[in-house]
Amino acid sequence: MTVPAEHALALAAVLFSIGLAGVLARRNIIFMLLSIEVMLNSAGLAFISAGYMHGHPDGQVMFIFILAMAAAEVVVGLSLALRIYGSFKSLDADAASSMRG
Amino acid sequence: MSPSELSALLPILITAAAASALTAAAGFYSKHGFVAGFTMAAFALSFASIFIAAPAAPIAVSSLLVVDGFALFFMGLIYAAAFAVALLSYGYNGGAGGKHTEYYILLLLSALGAAVLAGSRHFASFFLGLEILSVSLFGLAAYMRSPKGNEAGLKYLVLAGASSAFLVFGMALVYAATGSMEFSAASALATRGGGPLSLAGMALIVAGAGFKLAVVPFHGWTPDVYEGAPAPVGAFIASVSKGAVVAVLMRLMGGSLASGGPLFTFLAAVAVASMFAGNLLALFQENVKRVLAYSSIAHLGYLLVAFLASGSFAAGAVAFYLAAYFVSIIGAFGVVTVLSVNGSDVDSLESYRGLAWRRPLIGAVFTAMLLSLAGIPLTAGFVGKFYLVAAGAASSMWILVLSLALSSVIGFYYYLRIILVLFSPSPRELPAEAEVHPAGSAALMALFAVLVFMGVYPGPFLSLVGAAASGLWQ
Repeated sequence: MTVPAEHALALAAVLFSIGLAGVLARRNIIFMLLSIEVMLNSAGLAFISAGYMHGHPDGQVMFIFILAMAAAEVVVGLSLALRIYGSFKSLDADAASSMRG
Repeated sequence: MSPSELSALLPILITAAAASALTAAAGFYSKHGFVAGFTMAAFALSFASIFIAAPAAPIAVSSLLVVDGFALFFMGLIYAAAFAVALLSYGYNGGAGGKHTEYYILLLLSALGAAVLAGSRHFASFFLGLEILSVSLFGLAAYMRSPKGNEAGLKYLVLAGASSAFLVFGMALVYAATGSMEFSAASALATRGGGPLSLAGMALIVAGAGFKLAVVPFHGWTPDVYEGAPAPVGAFIASVSKGAVVAVLMRLMGGSLASGGPLFTFLAAVAVASMFAGNLLALFQENVKRVLAYSSIAHLGYLLVAFLASGSFAAGAVAFYLAAYFVSIIGAFGVVTVLSVNGSDVDSLESYRGLAWRRPLIGAVFTAMLLSLAGIPLTAGFVGKFYLVAAGAASSMWILVLSLALSSVIGFYYYLRIILVLFSPSPRELPAEAEVHPAGSAALMALFAVLVFMGVYPGPFLSLVGAAASGLWQ
């Protein structure tokens, strides 16, 4: 039996919401990066299911682009997190918030 | 790939090759003077190659990119702005000494991403261009290795990452609804109204792009990032990264926004909110970079007025306004840049007290840039704002035009406040001030000349803009 593409899209929407809730609610920088990853991968899943709906390979190509971009972003993010830890001695996003207004 | 396609792509190819060459050379030779000179030469060469690409335009290069007058105009704007930023950065990073190769590689890459955005006509190139631009900007924003710089970089990364997720999810929904990732299909759908799926997708794309444009309600990151990032990088984020996103949005949905449709209404509300919130919040700032950040929020709100008006006249108004805004905001950040050195930016309003008497030339340039941002006659900003109002009035968007006028009046106050501080008497105890590097002053003088030229004699520039805009949406 095959999974209808609409179900996959709905799953992607749920995952996207979970990721968004994580970015908004979590204060730990590593968890925020993790939640962004969940959001990006849910978009990738949506692309794959949309490609499957139309019988195109384009959706999977986009997924690979998203994967590559997410990897690049997380590399920069983790190195910045290390430097934040170095200067604030904490990975809490609220502790690393000296600028206001 | 045919020769004409190759020559049309030259501006992008040269920047890409320069970034790769500089990365390869970084291991062996990384003198700051050489690296900065190489970067500026690459930008100048890319700019010059636009004239080689122009005869081939308009031409579609694969289904991803299109090189037409509009794309070439924005590429020219991007490379000119990037050149000015590189020149400012050379002085900022301390002249010939030191090692700053990463900085210039990232600058080349972000300009490359912006240029790809200007010519993109497919979701894949939209996404890739935007990510090349943003991922390089994360590094640039955190380049000043201070706690504030790290904080700025991380804040930018988290919010830009989340906004990219919004953007790609929206693209996936539009793709699911239409079965095509080319802009033409998406905008055809927007004209016909589309289903709920494509509308949701377009709304997510607008939200994702709204983060990059820093319009209300997606503006939260702007002041912090501008404050923490090095001043020349602030200039780059405020100008190039926003201009490129405006260009790609124009191609994606400009002209197909039905007046009164849900997206139109949403964007109109965003425009009004950005104009008022940007100008009102700027009133209470004591930090020049933060004032400029809120001012840039307001300016993008103004820009949306012409963006929402349809027709090639409005597209020309957007292009002209962006050019005027680029000159003014890079000039204003440029003044902060030439007074600062890498690691400690001179950005509190108090340190500018009496600057016009101590350094008359820089004071005069800063005053001119602020007057242009405020939209005073004889500056580029005035002509730009005039065309925005004309474009809005031609489409009878009276509420938007009225809010533009009202919020500009609020804006006068904080620009004049800075000018007043510049011309008030110097304090008794002067803070230690850095020597102004000649590269920085050269960049400021050039920007000043362009600003006055565009304000006094805008004719040639207007015909250029008109020609660029007429080719869009055919």
